[in-house]
Amino acid sequence: MAAPASAEEKVLVTGNVAAAEGAVRAGCRFYFGYPITPQNDLPEYMSSRMPEVGGTFIQAESELAAISLVHGAAAAGGRAMTSSSSPGISLKQEGLSYLAGSELPALIVNVQRGGPGLGDVRCGQADYFQATRGGGHGDYRLLVLAPHTVQETFDLAYEAFDLAEARRCPVMILTDQQLGQMMEPLVPAPMKDLPAVQDHPWALTGAEGRPRRIVKSFYWRPGELEEFNRRLREKYMRMEKELPRWEEDRAADADVVLVAYGTSARIAREAVDVARGEGIRAGLVRPITLWPFPAAPLAAAARRGARFLVVEMSWGQMIDDVKLSLYGTPRPVDLCWRAGGGVPTVAEVAECIRKARR
Amino acid sequence: MEFKYDERVLKPGYTSCLGCGEALAMRLVAQACGPNSIFTNCTGCSEIFTSRYPASSWAAPWIHSLFENSAAVASGVYYALKHKGRMPQVNVIGTGGDGGTADIGLQCLSGAMERGDDILYVCWDNEAYMNTGVQRSGLTPLDADTTTSPAGKASYGNDRPKKDLPMIMAAHGIPYVGVASMGYYRELAPMVKRILQIRGPKFLQVHVVCPLGWKSDPAKSAELARLAFETGLYPLYEIIRGETKPHRPPKDGWRPVEEYLKPQGRFRHLFRAGNAAERITRIQALAAANIRKFYGPDAVPQFAKDAEAKLAEAAKATA
Repeated sequence: MAAPASAEEKVLVTGNVAAAEGAVRAGCRFYFGYPITPQNDLPEYMSSRMPEVGGTFIQAESELAAISLVHGAAAAGGRAMTSSSSPGISLKQEGLSYLAGSELPALIVNVQRGGPGLGDVRCGQADYFQATRGGGHGDYRLLVLAPHTVQETFDLAYEAFDLAEARRCPVMILTDQQLGQMMEPLVPAPMKDLPAVQDHPWALTGAEGRPRRIVKSFYWRPGELEEFNRRLREKYMRMEKELPRWEEDRAADADVVLVAYGTSARIAREAVDVARGEGIRAGLVRPITLWPFPAAPLAAAARRGARFLVVEMSWGQMIDDVKLSLYGTPRPVDLCWRAGGGVPTVAEVAECIRKARR
Repeated sequence: MEFKYDERVLKPGYTSCLGCGEALAMRLVAQACGPNSIFTNCTGCSEIFTSRYPASSWAAPWIHSLFENSAAVASGVYYALKHKGRMPQVNVIGTGGDGGTADIGLQCLSGAMERGDDILYVCWDNEAYMNTGVQRSGLTPLDADTTTSPAGKASYGNDRPKKDLPMIMAAHGIPYVGVASMGYYRELAPMVKRILQIRGPKFLQVHVVCPLGWKSDPAKSAELARLAFETGLYPLYEIIRGETKPHRPPKDGWRPVEEYLKPQGRFRHLFRAGNAAERITRIQALAAANIRKFYGPDAVPQFAKDAEAKLAEAAKATA
């Protein structure tokens, strides 16, 4: 993408390029990646875009190296990111746990594909558990953002570093093959004016004339780690209270509330149109943050007696969070799913809505 | 080399591209190993095009798991067979592309070689991540244009010379290290049969042309691979128990590197205006160093020496 001259300019790009450009305009100057389909256009774009903005592009020797390069650059105060797709994200998990344990901000983009194992390179949403439960070892979470358009992919990437730095935690943008590879018009926000490396109070920038700083996730003396975990828990509980974000579409009076994110949400929205055309009061709650999960709108709908239909490209992961959200107000929760590269059609979801209402 | 269908270890029907060097080399190596072999495969082109679900081209046992672990899986197979008393009757063959071997798989490969596991590891070197769409690898040559080392106004493409993987393997002190080429495909099968007689870890790197990634004529893959050797850019040799045996030098003498570079789209930018000529001089100097290393100072042709002199002069001027 040629850099648009003004914010008003509209460009046609893929979701992957939108994520890259969103990060660049948010001040990201360090990109570390490794080839894996279907996210290759993101590093490919970065390989020519980073030199243009005076940033660093490195294709590492493995996913593990890429996430560790992010660790290093983030520790030094840089806005650093990596991207990958499902199997590659699995390989990065050790690094993610260490980033969270070291309380470092960073951006990770997962363009999900079919699994498990090597799976295929088609659309999938089966990394939901991995993304929302931390993924690596230990008690931690990632702040997980789930766009459903190319524009939103840009917008969330543009905002991600602010969120990551405010909470000192890694942020994951969870997209999928279709969102990543399809093209849509994008109106990009302007370039943020930030130094390539910021002097955060914790950043390793050289200790001349000031006490040295240490970035670590290791606690040796008895009780130290427990104290650290207590503090981490408080941080994550604050995030759970303050950060959930969602979009509602005709959910206020809905008998059947669909819950879907990413590509599934686009299909679910069309299925809601179909159902409404048939006189069924259907609506959609689209989580934008997957962790923290937006329980409030679902609990509210449950209290007024709605039924729920979860649409996801996995055989049932987000449905657990939907059920947890209804805790205390048990309501029927159905699942409309396809997995392993299959994408549900509008007709399939509409049929699920009809069944859910009965 | 003709094979009867029933005897083929890698059956036809795989979905490689036209002129794929990896497919040719793999077919010949597999045939030399025979059906009483177990092949492990990195993620990559060869893994995909020989195993399109639900079919498989493999008439020998074959396993794929992760990208980075082909050598470790081969080691695991070796230990299990050894425990059953079936080594060395079965050949355990680890395989992978250049990215899967020299980048992400290097750790597992080094471990297998260092432990002395009785396996043969074959690296198909087509000099980039072709399966995912031609991204650079540690074995991408200097100045090659790839999707993550794009040539353009500010760049001549990949700005680092190729990693010397065979020498890294040789440094493990293993009994066999070899560098072969699909350009000399008739030599490949007899060579592998000979290698398999050696006990202990063995490493073979095969230079294979990728017409898609190199943007070259698929009909001329073998010719192009030979030119890589005949220009001195891709030295072929074997190190058998520490003794280095270079491939016989080209019959008609060493050739200028332009003859190898020019037919390839990935080097197209080197033949445009600007400072590209200096880059070719640099590549010619790399070839000169290779020829000197394996064939002695007298073997270096005059045009290659001239390139070295020109480069030294330019370095002096900037100093």
